[in-house]
Amino acid sequence: MIWLARALAGPMLWGALFSAVYALHGAGCNLGWIDVRLGPADLHHAAMWAVWAAGLAVHVLLVRTMPAGQGRQRKIITAASWIGLVASAFTLFPVIATSTCF
Amino acid sequence: MTPRPQDDTQNDAIDVTADIPANPPQRALRLHRELDEVWRDLPGWRGFFTSVNHSTIGKRFMATAFVFFAIGGVLAMMIRAQLATRDGAFLDTELYNQIFTMHGSIMMFLFAIPMLEGLALWLLPKILGTRDMAYPRLSALGYFCYLFGGIVIVLSLLFGVAPNGGWFMYVPLTDKTYSPGINADVWLLGVTFVEISAMAAAIEITVTILRCRAAHMPLTRMPLMGWYLLGTAVMMLVGFPPLILGSILLEVQRAFDWPFFDVARGGSPLLWQHLFWLFGHPEVYIIFLPAAGALSTIIPILSRTTILGYGALVAAVIGLVFLSFGLWVHHMFTVGIPHMALSFFSAASALVAVPTAVQVFAWIGTMWEGRVQFRLPMLYIMGFFATFVMGGLTGVMLAMVPFNWQAHDTHFVVAHLHYVLIGGFVFPMLAAIAYWMPLICGRWRVRGLGEAAFWMIFIGFHGTFFIMHLTGLLGMRRRIAVYPENAEWEWLNLVSSGFGMVQAAGFALFAFDVVMQWMFGRRSWRNPWQAPTLEWAMPLPAPSYNFASLPGPRQPDAGALLALARGEGLLAGAPRGWRETLAVEPGSGKPQHVAVLATNTALPVATAAAIGSFFGLMLAGLYWLAPLGIIATMVVVWRWGALMGTERDHPPVQVAPDMALPLHWQVRTTLGQTGTMVLLVADATLYGSLLFGVGFLTVVAPGWPPPDSGVGTGWMLLLALAALALMAAGAIAARLAESRRAQAGGRVWTRIGLVLAGLALVMLVGLGWGLDDPTRHARDALRGAILGFAVVHGVIVLMLALRSHVDARRGRIGLERRGAVPAWQLFQVFWLGTTAASLAVVVAQEVLA
Repeated sequence: MIWLARALAGPMLWGALFSAVYALHGAGCNLGWIDVRLGPADLHHAAMWAVWAAGLAVHVLLVRTMPAGQGRQRKIITAASWIGLVASAFTLFPVIATSTCF
Repeated sequence: MTPRPQDDTQNDAIDVTADIPANPPQRALRLHRELDEVWRDLPGWRGFFTSVNHSTIGKRFMATAFVFFAIGGVLAMMIRAQLATRDGAFLDTELYNQIFTMHGSIMMFLFAIPMLEGLALWLLPKILGTRDMAYPRLSALGYFCYLFGGIVIVLSLLFGVAPNGGWFMYVPLTDKTYSPGINADVWLLGVTFVEISAMAAAIEITVTILRCRAAHMPLTRMPLMGWYLLGTAVMMLVGFPPLILGSILLEVQRAFDWPFFDVARGGSPLLWQHLFWLFGHPEVYIIFLPAAGALSTIIPILSRTTILGYGALVAAVIGLVFLSFGLWVHHMFTVGIPHMALSFFSAASALVAVPTAVQVFAWIGTMWEGRVQFRLPMLYIMGFFATFVMGGLTGVMLAMVPFNWQAHDTHFVVAHLHYVLIGGFVFPMLAAIAYWMPLICGRWRVRGLGEAAFWMIFIGFHGTFFIMHLTGLLGMRRRIAVYPENAEWEWLNLVSSGFGMVQAAGFALFAFDVVMQWMFGRRSWRNPWQAPTLEWAMPLPAPSYNFASLPGPRQPDAGALLALARGEGLLAGAPRGWRETLAVEPGSGKPQHVAVLATNTALPVATAAAIGSFFGLMLAGLYWLAPLGIIATMVVVWRWGALMGTERDHPPVQVAPDMALPLHWQVRTTLGQTGTMVLLVADATLYGSLLFGVGFLTVVAPGWPPPDSGVGTGWMLLLALAALALMAAGAIAARLAESRRAQAGGRVWTRIGLVLAGLALVMLVGLGWGLDDPTRHARDALRGAILGFAVVHGVIVLMLALRSHVDARRGRIGLERRGAVPAWQLFQVFWLGTTAASLAVVVAQEVLA
């Protein structure tokens, strides 16, 4: 069962990261973070960038460390870890591309 | 069969010490008689009400689902008759509303989900090499909940009170103001009742796949259908609770005026949309995955080769299971969501096409490499490819926000969803039925009828729904009964309706073909498709016990048919007169113990009737009598527990030479314990959905912050902390009850745990008296719901503690016997954790306010 947990780690991290960024998006809009300047950006964007970047870093770590075993087990873990990384990168890239609360 | 040279199964990590010597051969007929005596259903009507056998229940699910499919199909034809002309006078508006709502609801909740449940219940034990599902009584309970709930929903149409707010029941249209009758209640209560069967199926599919496979069948060598159904079951566990929660909240709003969705009092209709689509979009994949499992099984067989890319397909299943939970907001693109949130869900909606495409290419590659036999199942598979790929492409179009805004709520969406659902579910299911019918009935089909039915369905379908893309792009909205101003839509609709009738005739011919096969088909020979999978390692039709002896490493595929029938596998026959099967370690499939499964009993139908009495009283508006239904349910459920357990230790069972395994009463990692953990995953999802509601309304709904609360008083906090302390002490008592089970102390700790649970429950009820009026504001209503969640779990814990205490008194707890204590422990910790989280939420609300 441990290999299954290794295989699910990447997709589960995507789920947690997606939920966290979506929640942060709603909370930030409600709390008016967009009006708080933080260097070149606003607090809302900065907070989401930080969470997304931290999540991607953990994903990279998972891709490097999770694969174990041999044969089919290893292939499935590797593929699933990459699914998590690509999903987090692709579905959350709007944090650097669009406005937040409009 | 052409073996794939690059197949990587040989590189897989297999336990090389896994060989289990064969049992000595016996007379197959004697074994058959011995097993059938134990496993068969009772004759006549008694059998209908008491059977728990997975083959019987699975076939009943599928047959009942097809009856509902026929009803839903008749409703569809009525819709098409109405829309054939622009001033259609076939149905009045109110009846039209009921009919399109019932068509969608029946097809989704009474056909698609039960059909996949039926296929899973019937097929899983056969392909996994076991004798039954992990919880046979739960299978039967699920069936009767489905049957009773389905009958109520359909009868409402005959009485003119059918749901009429659309199959996704948006508020405020379905709240008490705009739907004062019981139409919406029928949907909310009926569907929730039916969904008990979905949750039951999800739990036992999960546990059966993880714990009831053939000996030493690791997950990585499990038939792909097992992976697909595991993914389906996990999605059901996580996908259905938001819908169940939403239905409960909306029914409570309608019955008691708690304003969860009322904007004027801090609620939001968007909360309903979120909860519904949190279920609704994964639902599409819940329906698709079992169908894809059937495709992954049938395509290599009818292509005379092995599947291409087993590992890639498993990874695609994992990807789909997760990604499908990140798409739900694409059903809400027009409600006024900020661009960034739209982009998240648009990106996820596009990305989910990738694992789907991986599967499609794997299937095409498999066919490319093999020699395709265009027999009837393969015709339906071709129909799947043509239809589902088009549906997938229009899905990618709809995932793009600008296009979605244009096509929203038009017939383009109706066409898309039918291409996906009929392409992705109905065509593969028809292929599956054509493929497995010889195993179901032992007969071969009548040549020609099936092919004619296929072409009528295929041509009729595309003639009906391809045109709907065009009417949608021309601006025709869904759910309109007439369109007097738009003569240009009329001929398209007329053509669509004509092809709809052809399609309906095709389905009728398919049903006729199945009946003809069942009644008049010639006897089928064994393994007619020359398939390697284990379900064909048995006589036709499948016997009540599936395998006379269970497959092990020496009997890995259908080639072991005779060896298994002669008892050379594991656990041959039924020498103790019990329904026995093997429970294995989840990952490796190493045998762990012998599980003794339930035999024929009327308890499931009695339990379904008791649960139904609660729903019936609620539907009748007799709210203060409804607790009687709950009490009746608790009484019957108590009987379930009373029939479990044993008062004495049993010797290990010899399952093979040199292999003796304990019976399940004498181990801790029972199927029951795994099932309790799986149930708590679903329970935690329901609780998480409730917290999502709190968070969503707090940040999104107007009318917040709410009026000052009286909850912040010190005595309320003290009472809550005292209840938590009692729950924590109860958790310790449950632990001690197990660790000291061999001594008299075990019984003492069950008694202490029982008292602690009772006191904590009393305190929680006391907290209810101090809450603000829940009709005042959505925040107060949510606090009432959170407290209700804690009280319900308190009652469950109290019952489990009492069950454990009775078990201890009756000698069902001892050095090697644990009774209900492990389940009590798990629920006690869950109760403690969720209540502590709830208290933290309320305190945070008060502090932040």
